[in-house]
Amino acid sequence: MIKFDIPACLSGMDVALENGLKTVIDPELHVNIVDLGLIYGITVSQKELLIAVEMTLSTRFCPMGESIVSAVNHCLERLFDQFHISVNLVWDPEWNFESITPAGRKALWGTSTLDPI
Amino acid sequence: MSAIRHQPALYKIVVSHYLVAALFFLTLTIMFMFSINEIAGHYFQPRILALTHTAALGWGTLIIFGALYQLLPVILETPLYSLRLCWASFVLLMPGILMLICAFWFFDPGLMMQVAGVLVLSGILLFNLNVLLTLKNKQQTTIFQEFIVTSCMWLALTAVLGLLLVFNFRFSFLPQDHLAFLRLHAHMGIAGWFLMLIVGVSGKLIPMFLVSKYQQIALLSYAYYLINAALLLFLIDGYFYGINFKTNLILLVGVAGICTYLFYVYRCFVSRIRKDVDLAMVQTLFSFVLLAASIGVLPFIFHYHLKQNPLATNLSVIYGILIFIGWISALILGQTFKTLPFIVWVKHYEHLTGKVKTPMPADLNSNFLLTIQCMAFLLFLITFISGFVFSSLMMKYVGASCLVITALCYCLHISHLLLHKTSIQHYDQI
Repeated sequence: MIKFDIPACLSGMDVALENGLKTVIDPELHVNIVDLGLIYGITVSQKELLIAVEMTLSTRFCPMGESIVSAVNHCLERLFDQFHISVNLVWDPEWNFESITPAGRKALWGTSTLDPI
Repeated sequence: MSAIRHQPALYKIVVSHYLVAALFFLTLTIMFMFSINEIAGHYFQPRILALTHTAALGWGTLIIFGALYQLLPVILETPLYSLRLCWASFVLLMPGILMLICAFWFFDPGLMMQVAGVLVLSGILLFNLNVLLTLKNKQQTTIFQEFIVTSCMWLALTAVLGLLLVFNFRFSFLPQDHLAFLRLHAHMGIAGWFLMLIVGVSGKLIPMFLVSKYQQIALLSYAYYLINAALLLFLIDGYFYGINFKTNLILLVGVAGICTYLFYVYRCFVSRIRKDVDLAMVQTLFSFVLLAASIGVLPFIFHYHLKQNPLATNLSVIYGILIFIGWISALILGQTFKTLPFIVWVKHYEHLTGKVKTPMPADLNSNFLLTIQCMAFLLFLITFISGFVFSSLMMKYVGASCLVITALCYCLHISHLLLHKTSIQHYDQI
C-alpha cells in the first residue's frame, strides 16, 4: 500500500500517480512495481513542484534495479511534466513477499493467497 | 547498486565471448558427428581429446568468461576491475584454443600444441588476475565469492597440469603414466572449475531468476566444503594409489556435496514466487538431472575399472558425454537465453523505459527456436545414449544430427538476439 502525502488541492493525483506507476513493469517478473509493493510512499509538493518517490527493490543488488528506477523517473516526467521528480531508494523496511498486493499475487501464481506453492 | 547497465565496451567483450563460444559449439557438434567411431573406443585418443577441449574450453569456459564479465558485478556486488584484461585474456585464449584443438585432432604434440598450451594458460591467468583485482577492495566475503575464487584457482591448476601433460608428450618427465595425470587434470577441471563455478553462480542466480523466497545459503557452504574435500582427497589418493576401493568413499563425500546443492536448488524451486517457469529455466533445471545421471555412472566406472573390465572405458565415455554435452551444455543452452536477452534489452531499452512502452527481455527470445533447440537436444540425449547402449551406429548418427540441429538453433537464436531492432509503442498510441 502506497502512502501518499499530497496537498488537498491536488485531489485525484494519487490515482493518476498510482495508475502511471502501474505501467512500470518488473522486467523479470512481468508484474507492475506497484503490485509488487516496491513503492512505499509518494510526496507531492505544489510549492516546489516536486514529486518525491520513496521506493525499494526486491533485492539490494537487483540486476535490473537501475532500469526500474530510471523507468519510474521517465514515467513520472512523462505524465507530470510540470513537476521535478526525485526517486529515493530505501532499504528499511526491507521488501518481502508480504509486500505483494493480492493483484500481484494473482498475476504471479494465479491466486491471491500468500503461500500457494 | 551493482546493476546490469549498458556499457558499450563491456557489451562488445561479452557479446564477442558469446559469439565465439556459439561457433565453437557448432564446431564441436560437427566434430562429434565425424567422430562417432572414435567415441565407441578408448577416451585417450586424438579426436576425443580434441572434442573434450572444444567442449571444455571453446564452448564452456569461453561462454562462462563472457557471462562472468557481465555478472561478476551483480554476484560480487563490486565493479569489474579491467576491460583491457578481459580483451587481453580473450585475444590469448582464442588462438590458443583453436591451435590446441587442431593439435589434438591431427595429433601434433610438438611446437603447435606447446604454444597453444602456453597461450591458453596465459589467457586463464589474466582472467584470474582480473577476478582477484575485482575482489581486492571488497570488504565482506560471501560464499558466492568463495566459490568463484576457488573455481578460478582450480581452473589455473587444471591449465598448469594440462600444460605439463602437453610437454610430457615430448619430454616424458612426469613420474607416473600419462593417463593417471589425465584423470586428475580432467577432474580438477570438471569438479574444481565447472562444478565450483556453476554452484557458486547458480546459487546466486537461480533464486534471482525464479524469484525465490528461499534464503538458506548455509546449504551452499556445506556443498562447498564437501565438494572441495572430495576433490582434494581424490587428487591425493588418486596420485598415490590410482582408482581403488577408497575412491568410492571419496565419491560419496562429493555426492553428499552435490546433493546438498541440488537440495538448495529444489528448495529455491518450490519456494519461487512466480508459478510459471520459462523454457530456458526448464532446460537449466534439466541440466541438474544430467549432472545427477553422470554421477550415477561413476560407481560403475570404478567397479569395472577395479575388475579390469573394458566396460569401464565405455562408461567413461558416457560419463564424459553426460558431463560436457549433457550437464554443462544443457545449462549453457538454458542460461544463455536468460542472460543474453537482458544484456541486449539493456542496450536497446534501458534509456526508454517509462517514456514509451517497451518489450520485456523475455520477449526478445524466439520461442520457436528455443523450442526446437530443446526438443533436438532431448532427442540427441535419448537417441545417442540408446545408440551407445545398444551399439546402434544409425541411432548414434541420428543423435549426432540432432546435436548439430541444436547447435544451429542456438547460433541462429544468438544472431536473432544480437540483430534485434528496437521496437517501441508510444503510450498515447496504445
